[in-house]
Amino acid sequence: MKLSTFGLAAGIALGALLAAGPAMAQVTLKIWSIDGVDRPGIADTFSKEFDEQNEDIVVEYRGIPFDDLVNETLRAFATGNAPDIVSFDNPDFAMFSSRGAMLDITDRIANSQVIKAENYFPGPLNSVTWDGKYFGIPKYTDTIGVFYNKDLFAKAGITEPPKTWEQVAEYAEKLTDPANNVYGVTFSARAGEEGTFQFLPLIQMSGGDYSNVNTEGAVAALELWKKIIDNGWASKDVLSLGQWDSTGTFNSGNAAMAISGPWEVDRMVEDAKFDWGVALLPTLTDGGTRSSALGGFDWGIMSTTKHPDEAFRALEYFASQDNRIFEEFGSIPPRSDIPLPETGIALKDAALKVFQEQLQYAQPRGPHPEWQKISKAIYDAMQKALTGQMPAKDALDEAQATIKGIVG
Amino acid sequence: MAKFFNSLRDGVGFDLILVGAAMLFLLALAGLPLVYNVLMSFQQVDMFTLGQLIRPFAGFTNYAAVVAQPEFWLVTRNTLIFVVGSMTGQFVLGFALALFFAQKFPGAATIRGLFLVSWVMPGLVVGAIWSWILAGDFGVLNSVLRGLGIIQSNIFWKSDPSFSIWAVIIANIWLGLAFNMLLLSVGLAAIPRDLYEAAELDGANAWQRFWTITLPMMRSTIGAVLSLGLIGTLQQFDLFPALTEGGPANTSNVAGYWSWQLSFQLYDFAKGATVSVMMFVLVLFASILYVRSTRHEVRG
Repeated sequence: MKLSTFGLAAGIALGALLAAGPAMAQVTLKIWSIDGVDRPGIADTFSKEFDEQNEDIVVEYRGIPFDDLVNETLRAFATGNAPDIVSFDNPDFAMFSSRGAMLDITDRIANSQVIKAENYFPGPLNSVTWDGKYFGIPKYTDTIGVFYNKDLFAKAGITEPPKTWEQVAEYAEKLTDPANNVYGVTFSARAGEEGTFQFLPLIQMSGGDYSNVNTEGAVAALELWKKIIDNGWASKDVLSLGQWDSTGTFNSGNAAMAISGPWEVDRMVEDAKFDWGVALLPTLTDGGTRSSALGGFDWGIMSTTKHPDEAFRALEYFASQDNRIFEEFGSIPPRSDIPLPETGIALKDAALKVFQEQLQYAQPRGPHPEWQKISKAIYDAMQKALTGQMPAKDALDEAQATIKGIVG
Repeated sequence: MAKFFNSLRDGVGFDLILVGAAMLFLLALAGLPLVYNVLMSFQQVDMFTLGQLIRPFAGFTNYAAVVAQPEFWLVTRNTLIFVVGSMTGQFVLGFALALFFAQKFPGAATIRGLFLVSWVMPGLVVGAIWSWILAGDFGVLNSVLRGLGIIQSNIFWKSDPSFSIWAVIIANIWLGLAFNMLLLSVGLAAIPRDLYEAAELDGANAWQRFWTITLPMMRSTIGAVLSLGLIGTLQQFDLFPALTEGGPANTSNVAGYWSWQLSFQLYDFAKGATVSVMMFVLVLFASILYVRSTRHEVRG
């Protein structure tokens, strides 16, 4: 008797489980990004919310350190274990979309009520575009401009921030004060992506781009940078300093100008004990073509996903929350239709307005599937010229030859 | 059949099993990756075919492409400077310290132990610390050198092409010093004291004792220290990303870092594998020299 009661109970339980199964047919979405590894970020927060709001979808979020993300995803894709949604740094995106690893979502975007291509800044949108099709959507963005120390400017009798690179050199000379350990300007020309990030805009301003780097204007700009370093208006260590460390010297009053981006603003508000402002990245000639580097991450659905509809719904949810990413995570939304809210900190608000204006001129690195090799050719040439190992013209010609071999 | 099983339990078969297990272990953990690496250097490897074994055969094109890279000879030269510079510094200073602490004075053993601090520190941490010390404008080393009147203006250790490789070498010498000193101390301790006493009675001075007793008795230790030093130096990786990233313009790039850069930064896995195979051949050559030099060693 007892046994049969148990059997009955077990039978009912099993039946209930079987019956419930189809009703709760859950779709599992694997989402990977760098957020949430050390502190909460955009991807982990929004993924969790999306998971909670959708009964039929289970989200498995995985945070991967920045340096491992591309390698890990490559490996997972090669062995058939790729995630459904992944978020990459924008220059890495083309490598995946050009090789059919990302899902073409052009038609889905066209039919979407939430995601509209025209709302995005052209630069970030370009980084998810390959062959005229959309393979993802921008997640957030940033760019670079000139921070300048207004107190030091006033002391040197300079009233306006520099408009051209010639002026940067001219002001830097006036502002350099070796007795007080003050350099005129600081930037990052290091042997890595940051070096390309800061120098490529000058190539673009001269009418060139990543596949056409040895323009006359770029040669002149590189010679000007060399002059700034050779004359001691900038520290020789800009060749090994990253942007964060380089701007640190600005914050401590040891440099009068710094080229960097909005990620510096919060620290600067805390550390800088002087009045400062931000100006658009100078151009090569007065009123000349504007450009600046484009930073930030993109979202994409991997082509191996079994649930493209659900994955796209997730992207729609993420995009619908874009108006929160500035206040909650300090990142700039990649969209022109979202006004940045006032923070009440005057210096910060003024700075972010300039960066938002600068974003209209920001141009992506690439997009090209072999971006990393192109980038190395560019920063190697830049460093060869700046250290005097080669004339600027020859260094850029060599880079051009290398890049031609890659781009074809 | 029974004889076969008996031999497994207590005969020649047992020895073979032991050797076989070790060989299998070596093959699986060291041999296969090595073969895979060599194989990869002869194939066209693509970012997305990383998981496959069968890929288009490339012949020697990867090798030709690596040699044709504009930075190839620069990297080769840097690797030689880095290996010779680091090993010389680590060995000479390590030996000097080992001899110094072999003298009997209060606290000798304790202070010697403290030197190990440098050895237990991760390379990345050492790199970050030296990065501050070697900084051009506000670095400690420059201010010390200026204070001593050795230099007039700051040396930009990490950014000046003529110093960048030396910046990494200085940090690497500091990192490997304690290990060299420790091994050499052990070798020194193994030399019987009475040899020195007898020599002293015969009127040999300190230099003669060092030259005729210490050095010959230390031959095998020195051989081991140098070959381990070579391997350790070629393996050194952490200091490069922490200090110079191979820059400026590859003037501090060495084969090991270049191979990593090609594989995991530029995603050119075939070239990365090719560079590491070239390094392997170099180490193989060095180990053959080492084995030959110690073959006829007489042990006291």
